[in-house]
Amino acid sequence: MEIYVLVKQVPDPEAIVKVKSDTELEIENKYFTSFFDEIAVEAGLKLKEKFGGKVTVLTVDNRRVDALRRGISMGAEEAVQVTDPAIEGSDPFSIARALAAYLKDKPFDLILAGRQAMDDDAGIVGPAVAEALGIPHVNSIVGIEVDDPKKEVKVTREVENGKEILSVSLPALFTCQKGLNTPRIPQVMNVMKAMKAQIKKVDLAALGLSSSDVGSSSARVKVQTYLPPPKRPPVKMIKEDFPENVKRLVKLLREEAKII
Amino acid sequence: MALDFTLGEEQDFFRQTVRDTVNRLIMPRVVELDEKEEFPWDLWKEFAALGYLGLRHEEKYGGMATDTISQMIFYEELARGSCGFAMSVIMQILMGTYFVARFGNEEIKQRILVPAIKGEKIGTICFTEDQSGSDLGGTRTLAAKVDGGWRINGRKQWITNGPIAEFCTVMATVDPKLGLKGLNFYLVERKTDKRDGFVSGQKLHKLGSRCSVTGELVFDNVFVPDENFLGEEVGKGVQYAGEILNEVRVMTAMNALAISKGAMDDAKEYAKNRIAFGNPISKYQLIREKFAKYWAWYEASWNYAYKCAWMIQNKIPCSNECMMAKYHATEMCMYAVEEAMRIYGGNAFCSEYPPQRYWRDAKFLLYGGGTHEVLCDYLGRMFCKD
Repeated sequence: MEIYVLVKQVPDPEAIVKVKSDTELEIENKYFTSFFDEIAVEAGLKLKEKFGGKVTVLTVDNRRVDALRRGISMGAEEAVQVTDPAIEGSDPFSIARALAAYLKDKPFDLILAGRQAMDDDAGIVGPAVAEALGIPHVNSIVGIEVDDPKKEVKVTREVENGKEILSVSLPALFTCQKGLNTPRIPQVMNVMKAMKAQIKKVDLAALGLSSSDVGSSSARVKVQTYLPPPKRPPVKMIKEDFPENVKRLVKLLREEAKII
Repeated sequence: MALDFTLGEEQDFFRQTVRDTVNRLIMPRVVELDEKEEFPWDLWKEFAALGYLGLRHEEKYGGMATDTISQMIFYEELARGSCGFAMSVIMQILMGTYFVARFGNEEIKQRILVPAIKGEKIGTICFTEDQSGSDLGGTRTLAAKVDGGWRINGRKQWITNGPIAEFCTVMATVDPKLGLKGLNFYLVERKTDKRDGFVSGQKLHKLGSRCSVTGELVFDNVFVPDENFLGEEVGKGVQYAGEILNEVRVMTAMNALAISKGAMDDAKEYAKNRIAFGNPISKYQLIREKFAKYWAWYEASWNYAYKCAWMIQNKIPCSNECMMAKYHATEMCMYAVEEAMRIYGGNAFCSEYPPQRYWRDAKFLLYGGGTHEVLCDYLGRMFCKD
């Protein structure tokens, strides 16, 4: 099976994120592979181990992308980075356009992605790539069974109070949900291989796209304002002794906090 | 233009991978590992299966032959999870197998080194005795030459992995009167019905690093064949030991960096949430001073330790530098764990809070790779030398 996995590098949960301006965030340089994308890589690797073939990890990003090396360290054969100065400011639809442009001539059987990225939680890129390629897609799968000769797949989704089993013909795109598998911990031999791996880089011209197809100029969704979470209000110490302190606390809860 | 302090894309990726592995396999079990005081066989098997035990050895024996800086990154990240488990793993990667790989014949390497890299045979090194440790010249374990081999008699103490070791590299003297010039290394396996070898003595109950099992090994007239003599010449044991002492000292510095970081990161979170006199205690200058001093000292230690790793990697003589790196990082760590205890106030005295664990784990670093009294005496002598 020819399997492509769409991966995204997102800020580490421990990274310090500050609002720099209305439309710009300052993110500490700590990144990791989006959790759901690792589940997608694992799913691809399991299918490759069963049916043979190849897993390629693919991303659109101008930064150094450890998520691609992570994919190789887990067992993917190839890594491709679509990179071009013009992609800065892209919205999820532009990212999907670039990914689809890369994939459209490739002989893929299956495309996998995380159900959403752990930074913007948008969940758009996967389905948008499928739409652009004109292939079926199912979101948030927790089970997958492939009938390789028939090129058919049964996927399981969790729905209200139960599960839903869908059959889909290949090629198709699925986004992966927690519960599908537990991503493997890379063996150090593969980590070494990933450290030295050549990442194939592709620019927009090679995809037949121009700067008007991606980036902020083509973005249909634009960030208006980033707002930091409200700061914790100062602590108010009640200095009176019992029972005055209780009376005062009740008064404050009722009149200031307005929670009783 | 030659000065460059960046670790590089590949090493950053390696650190991130090891960190993720430690976060997934060790971090959820930190308290359990400390409290049980048992060797975590399941964790050992997982790290062996991932290939980390071969980090330092040749690929033809199942290793990865990584560079020194990558090894140090691994030691630092592993100790961040569990100093005790790191002690056991590092003993296997570095001291426990170095001389087997360096001097063992092909049969020995296949029989000992290959299963050691797979984690199937646990190894250790034996220096310390009741009257010798940093003072290796005081070694009394005796190796007597006999037909076809050697007979070894003595007791070794404070042996990391000792109670579970299948093989050890033991330092013994051909004559105690020769001091450092009489010392050699010998490969000895555990006694079985079919094989002469060492037996375990008392297992120690330690203050910290508790999931690494430590104990006494007894050599009672043990016969080892000539091929188990690990060296090219009799009397060169100290010289051979010097080959890994630099690495051992920088590795100890990595452990110190990791423990101090864990202690102070936890203390920072505590200080930001512990309210006293109407404010988080992190707002008070005397608490901030503790963090400021630690941070400055930590950054200096970190940079110096990695400079030493770089010197080892590039085969630049750095014996004094590695002693200083170990000394500096460990003293920094002592400051960090002590101050973390103060930041937690009375809660530090309770086992439910983490600073006592960091404090207990850190104390072990004062002794491995040379006590600070011995190191300072030597460094002072070198500094004053004309």
